[in-house]
Amino acid sequence: MESWNNIINTALLGTDKKQLSNIELSADLNNVFEQINRNDSLDKEDKFLQVTAVAFNYRQSGLTALLQESITIKETEPETKTYCNTNALHVLKDILEQQNIPLLKFWLQHCDAQQQIVPPEIIPALFDIAVAQKRIQQLITSCCGKRGEWLKGFNTNWNFFTGENDEDVWQNGTTDQRKIVLGKTRAADAIKAREWLQQTWQTENANTKAELLKMFEVNLSSDDVTWLESLQEEKSQKVKDVVFDLLKQIPDSSIVLNYWQVLQQSVVLKKEKALLGMISKTSLHVQLSGFDAALFKTGIEKLSNTKDFSDDEFIIYQLMQFVLPHNWELHFNNTPQQIIEYFIKDKTAKKFLPAFVNAIIRFKNSKWALAFVENHQTFNSSLIPLLQEKEQEKFSLQYFESNADHLIQIAVKRTTQWSFEFVNTVFRHTAKNTYQYNKIFYSEAIHLFPHAIVAELEKFTPQEQYIQSSWSNMSEYIMKLVSLKLQTIQAFNLK
Amino acid sequence: MTLSEDQILALAPDDASKKSGKDLANPSKWVSKGINELALWGECQGSGSKPYQTQVDIINIAFKCSCPSRKFPCKHGLGLLLLHVRQPQTFTRAEIPAWVAEWINKRSEKEEQKTEKKDKPVDEAAQAKRQQAREQKVNNGIDELLVWIKDIIRNGILNIPEKSAAFWDGMQKRMIDAQAPGLAGMIKELTDINFYKEGWQSKFIDQLARIYLLVTAYKNISTLNEDLQADIKNLIGFTQNQDELKSKDGIKDDWFVLGKQSTQEDQLTVERNWLYGINTKKYALVLQFYVRNQLPTITLTPGIITSAELVFFPSASPLRALLKQQFNSKEITNVDGFQNWNEVALEETRLNQSNPFINKYPFIVHRLKPVQYNNQWCLQDDEKRLMHITDVFTNIWKLLSISGGKALSISITGKENYYTPLGVWHNGEYKLL
Repeated sequence: MESWNNIINTALLGTDKKQLSNIELSADLNNVFEQINRNDSLDKEDKFLQVTAVAFNYRQSGLTALLQESITIKETEPETKTYCNTNALHVLKDILEQQNIPLLKFWLQHCDAQQQIVPPEIIPALFDIAVAQKRIQQLITSCCGKRGEWLKGFNTNWNFFTGENDEDVWQNGTTDQRKIVLGKTRAADAIKAREWLQQTWQTENANTKAELLKMFEVNLSSDDVTWLESLQEEKSQKVKDVVFDLLKQIPDSSIVLNYWQVLQQSVVLKKEKALLGMISKTSLHVQLSGFDAALFKTGIEKLSNTKDFSDDEFIIYQLMQFVLPHNWELHFNNTPQQIIEYFIKDKTAKKFLPAFVNAIIRFKNSKWALAFVENHQTFNSSLIPLLQEKEQEKFSLQYFESNADHLIQIAVKRTTQWSFEFVNTVFRHTAKNTYQYNKIFYSEAIHLFPHAIVAELEKFTPQEQYIQSSWSNMSEYIMKLVSLKLQTIQAFNLK
Repeated sequence: MTLSEDQILALAPDDASKKSGKDLANPSKWVSKGINELALWGECQGSGSKPYQTQVDIINIAFKCSCPSRKFPCKHGLGLLLLHVRQPQTFTRAEIPAWVAEWINKRSEKEEQKTEKKDKPVDEAAQAKRQQAREQKVNNGIDELLVWIKDIIRNGILNIPEKSAAFWDGMQKRMIDAQAPGLAGMIKELTDINFYKEGWQSKFIDQLARIYLLVTAYKNISTLNEDLQADIKNLIGFTQNQDELKSKDGIKDDWFVLGKQSTQEDQLTVERNWLYGINTKKYALVLQFYVRNQLPTITLTPGIITSAELVFFPSASPLRALLKQQFNSKEITNVDGFQNWNEVALEETRLNQSNPFINKYPFIVHRLKPVQYNNQWCLQDDEKRLMHITDVFTNIWKLLSISGGKALSISITGKENYYTPLGVWHNGEYKLL
């Protein structure tokens, strides 16, 4: 190799400046060099090129592979799960070709449920997808088995799949990784997550405190009140804002209790005489009273930002958003339906119904949500997700015509398959709007469509000629997706 | 027919055809279908009133379809083959219909005609005169090329990366004028070197030494043996009459198609099919050139074993071959190969000894595992010896995942200490990389 390096050095400078000498070549090449050098009919360039040509062949012929006894590679551990069958693998390859992530998730869920894994050659392609698709990282990790665990160690891009336990990540990870692991722990064990953050609280900076604290929105409970209230004196306004946001979501927090105290005095039922005292009727009176200016520090705005509300009414509206809807049942000693009626009947009180909706959503109160959607005057599509899936379909069908797009948006977030009637209603609308409901929509919602819909697609063909061909193409696409979904189910049910 | 699903999909002209082919691999799309020992056929209901008649020659994989698609093979041909692989039980062994028989018979007649075709009488005097004139042109070109090479060496290669495109183009064009396209190609390879990458100097001198060796060998060609003369002429750019070559007896064997590498050169697709003879233990390279939208004349599917007769081009180390006849496909069997890098190096030395112009060569090597050394991926044998994997190889993760840290039998192409994996044997299956 040294001979070759000397040849290269001579070539770099050029034979005009430097000649190759025999001492620069290995002993084996010396004889050849002498023979060529003795040939006076050759000029110095020819001599150099001839020696180089021989050295080139000498180098190639004498090559031995590099011996590196210390270089080893650890073998992967034996798999504990079985490989998926050939049919399932074919479907997976089709899905990967379609680049359809929802179907891939569907396939992986089946594979994981059967305790099966993908063959080794597929793992790198799945890991590359997992880098961008955080929501299926866990499934991919599980379906790649021991070999996947082993393989990720060689590629830093695949470090999403850490073998480390959550506590190690919490102690040593980046802020983003810690946020993920804290959120995960909060969902599984809220107390443990709180203890983790309490332990490191003093060492975190304000930004990190605020970011990590946001993870506490999951599983908030009265257990958190004491600690969160102790954080109200934090220096950073950013941190305080998050603390107040969290406390406002806990009915037992002193903030919410204070709000409720004000509301109890401000919103009351009064009996009034009517028709010259012949009859008495009960009506709502809304008048701000018992309000302490200290509550403005908790994020309540003093001045109304809309002409429909006076400043006092606006304060009441804000407070109503943060109290449990159930409190009103106790306050008025009545059912949600009757309380809603009181608000509807009174012109001023009616303005506060949207604040109720916000409170219902905040505290995920399905009883009140149902009471609101049952009343056509107070129906609000945002409350639909709080209902049981069966009720969601019932009310979505009832109010579909006037709220189609929003109801579809809500329905695609469901986890269970849509009923045949509902998918019919949806497709009748989406078939007419193929630009809005494009391939991405059908691909994202494929897990919700019953297989039988394939036979019905033609009947949704819109009247308007200009969109008929778009729907025809879309139908083919839907058929392909449904077919892949069906093939997945069949492949994993083969005995 | 032993084509796997992956092998069938590898025949598709583009991704759209693959997708459409898969959609058609569904029994409900086919009005009728059948198979016998020669062909596979089916009628597919398309948008027209009559179903499309699709037929596949399963001996020498070839397609015909009555659909108007310009793609080849069309989605119907691919769909029919895929359906047969997925659900062979849905195909009934049947009497060959007239429309299939007509095509199959025509194909075999054509093959016979090709082999029986007699050469027209040749005007030998005119041919010799043309040959002499060409040799003179080549000689003149070579003289200029030698001056050009010596100028480079005299002035040194330090400033080579700064040379303008005209410097290289001029000499390439001169070689085309001199009817030495092979030399033009070798000069182009000089310009393909990445001058921004460490080690370009060695690659440059390697190639310059090859060119110099070739042109000086050509000047002394009469002193060399016939086989080496053929190698030199071939590298310079003299073409070999392929009909004449095909008329010679070839080597019949079961050829394992190790891999297919396609590259685009100007408007031309160059397809390199690497083969290994199971019985003769010979390696072969079947080259195919075609322009876009033109149908490739031969279809060799990587991973299959095809019984065929190959005629090798005359050479001191025969590798390039023509496919004279293809008989049928066979089940995959075990293949022999080299046990370690030392055996590969010895074989390369033997090949270099008989042909100093040898370029990339294929090998099957057993018990290799991918390992990392100095941040580069290498293949390590049982004796802990390493050879580098080339930078052009992009499927290192697939190879690593299949190996799982264990040694595998791997087919590779390359030379010296750089190799590109083509495929691996894993659990009795050959997997392309």
